[in-house]
Amino acid sequence: MKAFATRHKQFIRNSHKSEDYFGFELRTLAKLEPGLKFLYEDWWKVEFKNLDAIPNEGPALIVGNSTGLVPWTAMMLIYALMSRENPRRVHVVCDMDWIEDERVHHFLRELGFVPWSSDNVKRLLARGEIVATFPEGIASTQKTFSQRYRLGDFDWTRLLSGVEEGVKIIPLATLGLDEAVPVLFNADKIAKLLNMPAFPVTPFFPFYPFPVNLFSLPVKWKMAFLAPSQYKKETNRDKVEEQAKAQARYLEGEIQAEINRMLRARTHTFAR
Amino acid sequence: MVTWKSIQTSLKDPLKALEERNPSYYARYAGVEDEFGFNLETFAKWEPVFRFCYEEHFKVRVRGIENIPSDGSALLIGNHSGLLPLDGAMITIAMSNQHPAPRRVRYMITDWFFTLPGINEWMAETGQVRATLENARKLVDNDELVGIYPEGLRGVGKTFKERYRILDFHPGFVQLAIERQVPLIPVATVGGDEIFPNFVNVKTFAQMLKMPFFPVTPAFPWLPFPLMFVPLPVKWMINIHKPIKLDYPPEKAKDRKLCLKIAREIQYDIQRDLNRLLKERKSVFSAWTEDDNGRSETP
Repeated sequence: MKAFATRHKQFIRNSHKSEDYFGFELRTLAKLEPGLKFLYEDWWKVEFKNLDAIPNEGPALIVGNSTGLVPWTAMMLIYALMSRENPRRVHVVCDMDWIEDERVHHFLRELGFVPWSSDNVKRLLARGEIVATFPEGIASTQKTFSQRYRLGDFDWTRLLSGVEEGVKIIPLATLGLDEAVPVLFNADKIAKLLNMPAFPVTPFFPFYPFPVNLFSLPVKWKMAFLAPSQYKKETNRDKVEEQAKAQARYLEGEIQAEINRMLRARTHTFAR
Repeated sequence: MVTWKSIQTSLKDPLKALEERNPSYYARYAGVEDEFGFNLETFAKWEPVFRFCYEEHFKVRVRGIENIPSDGSALLIGNHSGLLPLDGAMITIAMSNQHPAPRRVRYMITDWFFTLPGINEWMAETGQVRATLENARKLVDNDELVGIYPEGLRGVGKTFKERYRILDFHPGFVQLAIERQVPLIPVATVGGDEIFPNFVNVKTFAQMLKMPFFPVTPAFPWLPFPLMFVPLPVKWMINIHKPIKLDYPPEKAKDRKLCLKIAREIQYDIQRDLNRLLKERKSVFSAWTEDDNGRSETP
């Protein structure tokens, strides 16, 4: 706790201003921080390009691609924005309704995850917070290794509040997770039994006891913020929806193209 | 169906065989002068070979062939693939056999093919045209279907790791479409990237032999001559989208930013469609189901 306080003084000061609307708990994040630091700096060696695209003040909507049940991308994003020069808190909006276990639900909310609804997003943006969303939604948890780095359809409704409020929309391309956690196949029947959207079977999950089954390969990660876009504040509902649809298509293509470029330029897969 | 008998007849008198099998195509192009050197006899001679690939080897399925107009010009924009660019040939076969009003497709091809003796004439006689803006304009003015792969040569040389990942499109085709007011038709092809799995590109050999790239595949350059060019029997799917009419005045063709933006949007459309088709596909060598044929699904 003390080490966290000295390392992230500015972050604590900044996030003190943003209230804990959805049950954010700094202590939980502090407990997890050494683990995130290890993953970010030593294991995956995340290379974050254009981190300054996030403004120091005011609202922004981050739109990214993601895979898998464990939201590693979101966690790396939280850590990256926490440890940069002008730290900001990120509220990651995601589907949490399927999580029946109250403890897991609580834990995620304490880290800064927020159950997805347009209303929540709007409220956060109105207070000048940074919101991250992964518009592939539930479908992204079902991706397997053969579909690595291929984006699913973006759900345009997730961009609706961002377009409506006229905030900066910043695309985020992430390369690495799909190979770090290679999903061999999806056990649909087990997923149905356990009431989960997907049950990914990796070389480690679910074969080993708890902490080991979350093991991932030391793949070199690359994350990058792309050129942001912004709309004027709009009240006409039809126009907002049209813009959100167009924006979702465009962002999906933009992120996919950037990932293709990163893959082509990549010389080695593993971090060294 | 390509049978031994049909090959024999088409070898004996290719023009007559074409006339019997595909009368409307023959009627459309027989005796028509072409400034780029299209030769119906050469086409008739080689068509059965590629039709064999189309029907028996790749078992190509086409969705949305009715989106291509029977008359008038249009630009077919596709994702490039395969070391030997067979994707263009497959679309040509689809257009001459599956379309209600069979037409030829004029593909814009890179200069390199015209440096090869023998190949250059064959390319021109089967309908390919050297890729320049001038030639493309002439073709559009002649109401031809023009096929363009805006990825260019880089797209053909993709390694296996990069399969079905579109490289950034060159915006020249949008400029042409706005200038001549012709519709764009995006075409997504699944299958082409796996027929010759290219593992590495040996640049030193390529430079020595003055080739655009020197691929190493399971067959090339290890096997003796004809065998190294035999493609794997991957099952193909060609999805032809609805035509896109660009509502811009011709002066806008000079607006580079606009052209680039439209080119990107079309690139993203094709990439999204490829992602969707790949998700739908069960495996590389299993055929697409019968009802895929003719069912058109365009976003």
